[in-house]
Amino acid sequence: MVNFTVDEIRSLMDNPKNIRNMSVIAHVDHGKSTLTDSLVQRAGIISAKNAGSARFTDTRADEQERGVTIKSTAISLYGQLPDDEDLKDIPIKTEKNDFLVNLIDSPGHVDFSSEVTAALRVTDGALVVVDTIEGVCVQTETVLRQALGERIKPVVIINKVDRALLELQLSKEDLFQNFSRVIESVNVVISTYYDKALGDCQVYPDKGTIAFGSGLHGWAFTVRQFAARYSKKFGVDKNKMMERLWGDSFFNPKTKKWTKVGTHEGQTLERAFNQFCLDPIFRIFDSVMNFKTDDIPKLLEKLEIKLAGDEKDLEGKQLLKVVMRKFLPAADALMEMMILHLPSPATAQKYRMETLYEGPPDDESAIGIRDCDPKGPLMLYVSKMVPTSDKGRFYAFGRVFSGTARSGLKVRIQGPNYVPGKKEDMFIKAIQRTILMMGRYTEPIEDVPAGNILGLVGIDQFLLKSGTLTTSETSHNLKVMKFSVSPVVQRSVEVKNANDLPKLVEGLKRLSKSDPCVLTYINESGEHVVAGAGELHLEICLKDLEEDHAGVPLRVSDPVVQYRETVAGDSSMTALSKSPNKHNRLYVTATPLSEEVAKDIENGKIGPRDDFKARARILADDHGWDVTDARKIWCFGPDTNGANLLVDQTKAVQYLNEIKDSVVSGFQWATKEGPVAEEPMRSVRFNIMDVTLHTDAIHRGGGQIIPTARRVLYAATLLADPGLLEPVFLVEIQVPEQAMGGIYGVLTRRRGHVFEEAQRPGTPLFNIKAYLPVNESFGFNADLRSNTGGQAFPQSVFDHWEVLPGGSVLSKDSQPGKIVEEMRKRKGLKPEVPGYENYYDKL
Amino acid sequence: MASESAPILSTPAEHILEEPTPVTVQSSESRLSEEQLYLQYEIKRTVDEIRNGKWKRIALQFPDDMLVDAPRVFERIRDDLKEARKTASSSQNGNVDNVANDLAKTSLQNGQTSDASDQVEEKLCILGDTSYGACCVDEVAAEHVDAEVVVHYGRSCLSPTARLPVIYVFTTKPLDLDAAVDSFKETYKDLDEKVCLMADIPYSHHLDDLQARLAQEGYKNVFKTSIIRDPASLLPNRTAPTEVQENPEALKEYSIFHIATPPTSLLLILSSRIKAMHIFSTESPQSTALEASTTQLLRRRYALITRLSTVPIFGILINTLSVSNYMSALSHCQDLIRRAGKKSYTFVVGKVNAAKVANFAEIGGWVVIGCWESSLIESKDFFRPIITPFELEVALKGDGERTWGGEWIGDFSALLGKEQNEINGHSHAEAESTTQGDWDDQSDDEPPEFDLRTGRYVSQSRPMGRPSRPAVAENGETTASAPAPASSALVQRAKGDVAAIGGQVSPAAEYLRSKRTWQGLGSDFEISYERDEEGKIRGAAMEEGRSGVAKGYSVGEDASKS
Ligand SMILES: Nc1nc2c(ncn2[C@@H]2O[C@H](COP(=O)(O)OP(=O)(O)OP(=O)(O)O)[C@@H](O)[C@H]2O)c(=O)[nH]1
Ligand SMILES: [Mg+2]
Repeated sequence: MVNFTVDEIRSLMDNPKNIRNMSVIAHVDHGKSTLTDSLVQRAGIISAKNAGSARFTDTRADEQERGVTIKSTAISLYGQLPDDEDLKDIPIKTEKNDFLVNLIDSPGHVDFSSEVTAALRVTDGALVVVDTIEGVCVQTETVLRQALGERIKPVVIINKVDRALLELQLSKEDLFQNFSRVIESVNVVISTYYDKALGDCQVYPDKGTIAFGSGLHGWAFTVRQFAARYSKKFGVDKNKMMERLWGDSFFNPKTKKWTKVGTHEGQTLERAFNQFCLDPIFRIFDSVMNFKTDDIPKLLEKLEIKLAGDEKDLEGKQLLKVVMRKFLPAADALMEMMILHLPSPATAQKYRMETLYEGPPDDESAIGIRDCDPKGPLMLYVSKMVPTSDKGRFYAFGRVFSGTARSGLKVRIQGPNYVPGKKEDMFIKAIQRTILMMGRYTEPIEDVPAGNILGLVGIDQFLLKSGTLTTSETSHNLKVMKFSVSPVVQRSVEVKNANDLPKLVEGLKRLSKSDPCVLTYINESGEHVVAGAGELHLEICLKDLEEDHAGVPLRVSDPVVQYRETVAGDSSMTALSKSPNKHNRLYVTATPLSEEVAKDIENGKIGPRDDFKARARILADDHGWDVTDARKIWCFGPDTNGANLLVDQTKAVQYLNEIKDSVVSGFQWATKEGPVAEEPMRSVRFNIMDVTLHTDAIHRGGGQIIPTARRVLYAATLLADPGLLEPVFLVEIQVPEQAMGGIYGVLTRRRGHVFEEAQRPGTPLFNIKAYLPVNESFGFNADLRSNTGGQAFPQSVFDHWEVLPGGSVLSKDSQPGKIVEEMRKRKGLKPEVPGYENYYDKL
Repeated sequence: MASESAPILSTPAEHILEEPTPVTVQSSESRLSEEQLYLQYEIKRTVDEIRNGKWKRIALQFPDDMLVDAPRVFERIRDDLKEARKTASSSQNGNVDNVANDLAKTSLQNGQTSDASDQVEEKLCILGDTSYGACCVDEVAAEHVDAEVVVHYGRSCLSPTARLPVIYVFTTKPLDLDAAVDSFKETYKDLDEKVCLMADIPYSHHLDDLQARLAQEGYKNVFKTSIIRDPASLLPNRTAPTEVQENPEALKEYSIFHIATPPTSLLLILSSRIKAMHIFSTESPQSTALEASTTQLLRRRYALITRLSTVPIFGILINTLSVSNYMSALSHCQDLIRRAGKKSYTFVVGKVNAAKVANFAEIGGWVVIGCWESSLIESKDFFRPIITPFELEVALKGDGERTWGGEWIGDFSALLGKEQNEINGHSHAEAESTTQGDWDDQSDDEPPEFDLRTGRYVSQSRPMGRPSRPAVAENGETTASAPAPASSALVQRAKGDVAAIGGQVSPAAEYLRSKRTWQGLGSDFEISYERDEEGKIRGAAMEEGRSGVAKGYSVGEDASKS
């Protein structure tokens, strides 16, 4: 642990080339927090008294208890390369051998994926942790994809190697094969999401972008480290040596020659990696774990490991840990890997600018970001809010991309809905204080220049969860984060004592702020709803709500899902509705949007703020739309950005643009509360086919058009085979072969189906992918566990919307019809869905 | 598009303009006999009261469903009045002779003037299409015909009127007494059960019989309510048991057995005051009376209210011009809205319907000032929600104070008294929110507000600026204890660039500027042209349009043609 004063840390911040911002990402339980711990113990910039014993980044009590990370947490590390010579190996010219590494430990459970997204946004590099034994899992792939999407460069550590040795007793060659397979699968994922600007990000041991180790035991190594040791011995260049120490490379002890062939005169040669890297490790394990007390001192001497007095008395695993930690300290290997191979903000912001910034690439803000210029206009992204000890107040956690944030600076706070030039969602406010955030401790700091991560005091009231801070009046927003999870599981809460209502309301506001993904709202039936990504997420949120944010006893309903209304076909005829005064007529048809378009809208690839010509191009080129149609999209809805479109297909209608606002209002209204059960609509395209209007403006005002637009959209929907969409989880299950039968049973009972089943190479484990309706997923994990003797580990993440099968929603006897009736009753509507005739008018 | 064929089943045109305010449908399918008419419309009592009041110009107000009978009622009253006048004058004529004899002695007798006026024929007048709810007395329409009294037919909300005396004729409806008694017995097994009998107004005359029958059955604690004109009473417009008059809490032990479906607002009002409400449906009598549940309804209202708490612009709908105090209710609402830093506009649109109010897209929510029965407009057809003044108070309360689920007040006059406390409560809340020391300083922008309904932040929900803290006088008392008109001085003008008209911040102008894509041909802000995709100005050749009034336009030169 390094003891630094705030001033010393502050001086490190001035040199962006010597900063590394990185996230630790992985599948759940692959050892991120443990690994982070071992880094903190060695290089953390905090005084020992603050460090606590273990799980430094798991700051919450429940994280400690459950042993699962829930929130992402940042800490700062100080690093140096072992040799100033090594500075040459950094891709950009770096002068000082002093590095500030800001590390964010993220949760691995899918339910908390949004925390990963928030962490990735403020970092430039990622340390991907992969469990040697479990290999690449669902979440490994998800977080890697997210990282690459944000142009975050990965390096990899293959973790828990101790288990391979102690539990599986793998041979050196088996271990090598195991490593190769893991690396292969990581690289498959990386190359799938190849991004030109970022370049090739595949990882190779012989390039030094992969480490191997054990976070728990605190050791790790890279091929580069061994290469450095041996290069002197063999008198070979270090980089040359690195290539020789991985893959099909062998050293023939007879000929003293390096070869690519694994045999010599009929004898198998030992692989160089096994011989030079693994062998010393295996020897230590062998002698320590088998209590070969005589061999140990010799071995230690050979490897130049010195034990302190009392350490000499240890034996078994304890001794192993100490020895390995001295031999190959994890922090050294990881620090070296991160410093050499992860980009500094100065490097990263050059290529990240265009994906980060919404505005033109040549305005002052863009240039400030590109150059990571501490003197440029302030561009700061707040990616999440962190609760403080001051109830109801939050630190805004974020990253300075340009300029310098300092206490007292007046800034423009731009929320996610800010549109340049408009006043909405924009506030001017002075930053109260800037702070350093390290684990559970904060330190005030005078100012923070571009390229650094920080906390802000005093702006929490202006941003719900995230947003942009800037000093430039012309600045656009930094891009809003897109999460890989959606809040599809919900429960309603009510207070046990009516007088506690204000506390609940206040608590819901706080909860909403404290989590990037959770949604809290009041539904049309007046219930307070908390919506989360999955059961675990919701459980944690509700616990926080009850115990912390609201602090009053609550009654919680069973989990439910929200449906969407959609259409399955085209309107069987053009719907017509007349205005109340009968002088105006709207003709509309409804048709399904393709799933790709709906997804693109939801992922923000197609949106209301795009340039309409560019958007039309995408729709025409990628989705087969007619270009003229695509140019005439009037709006998105509900909430002006949902996945339903209103398209003007009229020809030469007089006064049409005068009623556009009214029709749009009607459309927003209708898509927010559909005709079937007043659920939001999704994936419907409405075409305005024709309009006839009264020639007097007074007779075609909003009062005539808005209700009529809603009616005609309802009629068009009801004429187009309306249906309900339900959310569906993608479930990925790891299970040993013998327990597989149980999974199928459980899935079938819950309307799930398996669509992929693959054996993990080299293991008895199977990877099963299945779709499972969210509605059937409650209690799924427990059910699965009991049916597989606790051997199956599922991960569920919202994947897509699917039409609820079983017949028409309009029929009383079908399953969807019953669900609709139930919903309508709950909402106090009459049980039957009104027929289209209620909205359709005769000519 | 004219070729489009309509389906066989489509909405009849007349259904579109339905009146959303509650009307109890009373079908007079079968024509009433002369006798029935006489009784049902209480002709005799009406005539007597008119005579007693010595009113000469009388307005007869019918709800739509009784208009069929209006001419006959009119004729009958007119004839009976004439008759009454004749008998009166003939009996008085004798007097006149005597008096004439004594004329010299007492030339100025009081009686004489009245006698003279008695000769004047009463003028009757039917008020058709009522401007607001049929349950309210349409004083304005009555004043148009210079009426001195209004005879109001049908069910009534009995709200106190501002100007004119009213003769209420509730009209009566038949009741299957046996079914009602059976239903009562099914519902209340315990003979000691405390029950109030209540009936919708047209059925209220059956209550005496019902009570008598129940007493025979052995029920000991059945209280019969009778009609009083006091919507603000514990049981609106009804008398309450004596023990309750002393202690309103005692009402919680009573159930109400209600004949016919009560208006929704009554359900909401009573929900927190009584033990339970059982409804005996007159249309489809059931063996047990239906227990009314308001939980769901109250919840839905809660959703509406919370939705409106972040709305920047309110519309106040005047839905009555006769309920007394409506002007003070109006200024009360305006005040509440102003104090919340929001903008209100006041509208008088006659009968409220969806099309009328949807004309004002800038309005985020409506408050309706009307009688206690008709202010509760529960309809999904309105573009923006409509709430009552009581609900407005709840909506504008800070999230830190709002509670819901207890009392629901329908009658706005009950709110007016609370104004005083309101102000003090408000200043208290403000003071609290300014003690955040380290976290915020006051010089900056107003923070956005959390919209409970959507779970998002909304900015500019208080375009008129939040009021600053009321000054605290030396002795520690708030100076704001003088009632509200001073509040305009307390309002701190919103910073920034909300559009202003004549120096006044105008959220509606701001809406026009920033939210409407079509701003009319000439805009107050800028002249803009309609443009096509390429950015070229789109336009057509100018033509001479029509001129004149809607009744008959003229086109071009030919001014005579319509
Ligand atoms: N044998 C062995 N166990 C390890 C190693 N690293 C972590 N573990 C164990 O794996 C479990 C999970 O470790 P964590 O560090 O909490 O994993 P994580 O990735 O942070 O988990 P989440 O944050 O919940 O996703 C703990 O029981 C650790 O003790 C390792 O290198 N070897
Ligand atoms: Mg962890």
